[in-house]
Amino acid sequence: MIRKEAELILEIRNLHASVEDKAILQGVNLSIRAGEIHAVMGRNGSGKSTLSKVIAGHPEYIVTSGTVKFQGHNLLELEPEERARLGVFMGFQYPVEIPGVSNLEFLRVATNSRREKRGQEELDTFDFEDLVRERLKVVQMDPIFLERSVNEGFSGGEKKRNEILQMALLEPLLAILDETDSGLDIDALRIVAAGVNQLANPQNATLLITHYQRLLNEITPDFVHVMAAGKILRTGGKELALELEQSGYDWIDKEQNHMEAK
Amino acid sequence: MAVFRQWLDSLPAPNGVLERFQRLGRNSLLNDASPTRALEAWRLTDLKRLEHLFELPLHSNQDVLDEKKLTIIPDKPGNGLRITLDSDCDTSDSLKLPPGIRKLNALELEAHLGNSLKSCSLNCDWPVAINHASATQVLGLEIQGQDLPPLELVMEAKPCALSPTRVILILKEQAKLELLQVAIGAEEAAQSHLIEIHLGQGSELQHGWLGFGKHQSSLLVNMAITQEARSNYFITAVQHGWFLARMEPHIVQVHGHANTTMRGLQLATNQSQIATHSSIRFDGPEGSLDQLQKSVAAEKSHCIFNGAIHVPRIAQKTNAAQLSRNLLLSERARIDTKPELKIIADDVRCAHGATVSQLQEEELFYLRSRGIEATTATSLLLKGYCQEIFNSLPVEANRWERLITLLESMQA
Amino acid sequence: MSSQNSLGELVSQPYKYGFVTEIETEKIPKGLNEEVIRLISAKKEEPEFLLDFRLKAYKQWLNIKEPNWAELGYPPIDYQDLVYYAAPKQTQKKNSLEEVDPKLLETFDKLGIPLSEQKRLSNVAVDAVFDSVSIATTYKEQLAEHGVVFCSISEAVSEYPELVEKYIGKVVPPNDNFFAALNSAVFSDGSFVFIPKGVQCPMELSSYFRINSGDTGQFERTLIIAEEASSVSYLEGCTAPMFDTKTLHAAVVELIALDNSSIKYSTVQNWYSGDEEGIGGIYNFVTKRGHCKGKRSKISWSQVETGSAITWKYPSCILQGEESIGEFYSVALTNNLQKADTGTKMIHIGPKTRSTIVSKGISAGNSSNSYRGLVQMGPKASGARNYSQCDSMLIGDKAAANTYPYIRSNQPKASIEHEASTCRISEDQLFYLQSRGIGFEEAVSMMVSGFCRDVFNQLPMEFAAEADKLLALKLEGSVG
Repeated sequence: MIRKEAELILEIRNLHASVEDKAILQGVNLSIRAGEIHAVMGRNGSGKSTLSKVIAGHPEYIVTSGTVKFQGHNLLELEPEERARLGVFMGFQYPVEIPGVSNLEFLRVATNSRREKRGQEELDTFDFEDLVRERLKVVQMDPIFLERSVNEGFSGGEKKRNEILQMALLEPLLAILDETDSGLDIDALRIVAAGVNQLANPQNATLLITHYQRLLNEITPDFVHVMAAGKILRTGGKELALELEQSGYDWIDKEQNHMEAK
Repeated sequence: MAVFRQWLDSLPAPNGVLERFQRLGRNSLLNDASPTRALEAWRLTDLKRLEHLFELPLHSNQDVLDEKKLTIIPDKPGNGLRITLDSDCDTSDSLKLPPGIRKLNALELEAHLGNSLKSCSLNCDWPVAINHASATQVLGLEIQGQDLPPLELVMEAKPCALSPTRVILILKEQAKLELLQVAIGAEEAAQSHLIEIHLGQGSELQHGWLGFGKHQSSLLVNMAITQEARSNYFITAVQHGWFLARMEPHIVQVHGHANTTMRGLQLATNQSQIATHSSIRFDGPEGSLDQLQKSVAAEKSHCIFNGAIHVPRIAQKTNAAQLSRNLLLSERARIDTKPELKIIADDVRCAHGATVSQLQEEELFYLRSRGIEATTATSLLLKGYCQEIFNSLPVEANRWERLITLLESMQA
Repeated sequence: MSSQNSLGELVSQPYKYGFVTEIETEKIPKGLNEEVIRLISAKKEEPEFLLDFRLKAYKQWLNIKEPNWAELGYPPIDYQDLVYYAAPKQTQKKNSLEEVDPKLLETFDKLGIPLSEQKRLSNVAVDAVFDSVSIATTYKEQLAEHGVVFCSISEAVSEYPELVEKYIGKVVPPNDNFFAALNSAVFSDGSFVFIPKGVQCPMELSSYFRINSGDTGQFERTLIIAEEASSVSYLEGCTAPMFDTKTLHAAVVELIALDNSSIKYSTVQNWYSGDEEGIGGIYNFVTKRGHCKGKRSKISWSQVETGSAITWKYPSCILQGEESIGEFYSVALTNNLQKADTGTKMIHIGPKTRSTIVSKGISAGNSSNSYRGLVQMGPKASGARNYSQCDSMLIGDKAAANTYPYIRSNQPKASIEHEASTCRISEDQLFYLQSRGIGFEEAVSMMVSGFCRDVFNQLPMEFAAEADKLLALKLEGSVG
């Protein structure tokens, strides 16, 4: 949903970032308003996953220049947990398995820390269980997964559903979904996509990071950005994704060569 | 070691059911070399702390304050059986034992004592000799049948003394038992514990060990376990708070065809040195081992793990897996770990692994990206790390509040 | 199924380098004392500092006990019953290959290491060592054009005494261990490599060691120095004739890598291993150590160990320079009554140092094959990482595979990861290959070579094929 007057949630300006001394992002500009769904597409190594990690505050990624504003906050000077409490959520491409830590306890601690920030009261074990059971429906998850350790022994699809469950509980303002479609069969993909669609509303925004068109068949983006060599090369509507699907990414090389020739 | 001589001289004259062991132990202490750093098995042990053992008398004049006891020892489990071992007197005399659990008589003790030790080649092991030399009491139980109440053995150190305790358990064919041992340390005190367990064919033992040490308290534990075919042995040991703790579970699958599961957690803080030296030998084919040993070393502590697996030629189709996972939380702490595999049979599957690191960055980030504060995330991860081991303790272990406190206090 | 039996036969392959070269040899009398050391030093016309070095090492040796922790179980060695210096009789130092005794050249031809200008290996410079002396070094002039020094250590002592004095015994001090002390006292020859600042050595360097005399100990010493931003790849090979007595070989290899330099040291060890009853063979006690002294320096050891009655060696890296890298890639194959105790030590001293260990042990017959390694993270090794993988393969039910990985850490910001497994060639796998028309022998050798692939990939191109052949050769024979 594009509304010109909607609140600016995320504003990225000339962002440069590197990992292990290797420059990955080389000047990214991106603005996201409430209610919008954006998709960033690009080949492996284009920097799209790095973008999501930098927004979430992964310690290995070093921002060398540029700014990231989130509802007016300077995101770059905040710890990852502070960003999460403000409403930044990143769905991991490879959700981490944490043996021994109960999924239910993890979800409760996380949910309460976000609630505290929003001035809502802390939920005790019982109230939280009620809430979590209700939200489980969003992703059609079996409550049995609450009893297990965080992501441990989950299949690829179960892990991704657990990510969306966390999103449903944390009610973020900006949900970044990093390659959420990777490793999912079509049924699991539909469940996950339905979850995302259900959670999207005029107050929040979604940023999808993906390689393929097939996720965008399920979640319709308002904007599609194509990334290459650490920059956003082109921006368009959902038709840009379809164009990519047909012509592949080869035109990027041409365009880049062309730019370099200039 | 002059103290060592004096200590030997201070022991009472050999007598009672353990007489032959007392002689054996004293002889071997006199004649065999005591541990030095040159010996591989003792290379990492703080020998000064070990020596301190011999400065302690066998009897204590002080008693543990009652209120102190109350805070630490929970009520005995409703349907369970608790025996508190005392190094000076036989505490099991007045006990009413449920059907299926029976005390071994003097003749039976004579017949069984030392057999498992011999199978595990522990006769002349130095910590065993200390127990031999000093123990005057032994608790011997025969276990028969299933659906038995859980058995709890509590070993409480006497302040400013060395308390030797000894136990032998014989599980008859098809018997099934849950056993929880709890060792509680005291100021300036040391404990030497020796347990022999024989698992008959098709029997099963869930063995839990809780070691709650104190500052300046030491513990030497030797376990000699023999498993007959089709028996299942599970041991989960948690050690915390000792100045010096050295636990040595030795297991022999006498005819193979048995299952052994080992779980261990060493939580070392302050200046603790906590060590586990485990060994298992498969004297027959188709045995299995699943071992996970964890250590957490914080502050100025030192954790040691040495895990020997011996698969001789006869042990074809053995399946053994060992994993040593270690968390090093401070720059002044230290971790030493050494798997030790000797394999001669060719048709076997043996895998082992070891890791030493801090908490995983990725796990921390994952939790923080969900809004959980760094310190909370750290303690959640530490708890999770320990929980994996706690989960395999016998259920009764959860009544011990120290365990809960331990979890709650978990912080990097 | 008989496949396990035939596997056993497969690995019992006669040793093909067992011939003796009939050549007149100059030997000093048996035994070891100060006089013998002075005699060796005098024969080699050595400067004072080296004689002092030897004598000091000898005194230290007298006070060190022979190690027995590896439980190799060999009968005591009578160190007074050995000859400590033997050299093929040649009148004067040779200036060119034409002057070298043709019998020696023929020997190396037979070993597949032709030295003469027409036949020599292209793009590999070879230093050929026969018993106690280096007899020829190829491509010396071409290397000199790049400033690379590649010669025998004796030659280096007379030509570059200041370099030798500066570096010898610095990585492996004479009192490091019993065999290093012995070597330091009596070493005869070996190779010397010096790569000056900024030079990438234009060709592979190789030393070939040949023991010929039966009762002679071989004590070679190798010293490789890579200055800032230089690199070199070095390979050693070794064979010996079949004698029914044991021969002692105690070498020392020292590597020094300065800032941004890299040294790759590869070994294909095929000393005579003794017969099926364990008679004869080489006792191989070797101390190899590299010092990554400079920032971002790298030392990589690769070894293929197939020979010797007893192997005792732990090529190690001292990782001192920030971000320096140590690597150890090893294949050890033992058969009959061979015993190998080998592995590595990775001592992480500097921050962000990294090490990788990949060890593959294959035990057949009645042999015993042990991996013994140490990974140590010192207090300053913040951000250091180690990854180790040690796999064992057993062929037959009488062979032993032991693994002793020692791990010690003092540094919370360092991470160590060790993985190990033991397996055998499964009948299912063999059957699968055979059912696709692959012969039994070939199937076994495919499996073994697959098992060792990670290590072979690390060997220089020219020698990877040779190593593969060597293993195949050991596994070749009649299918029962």
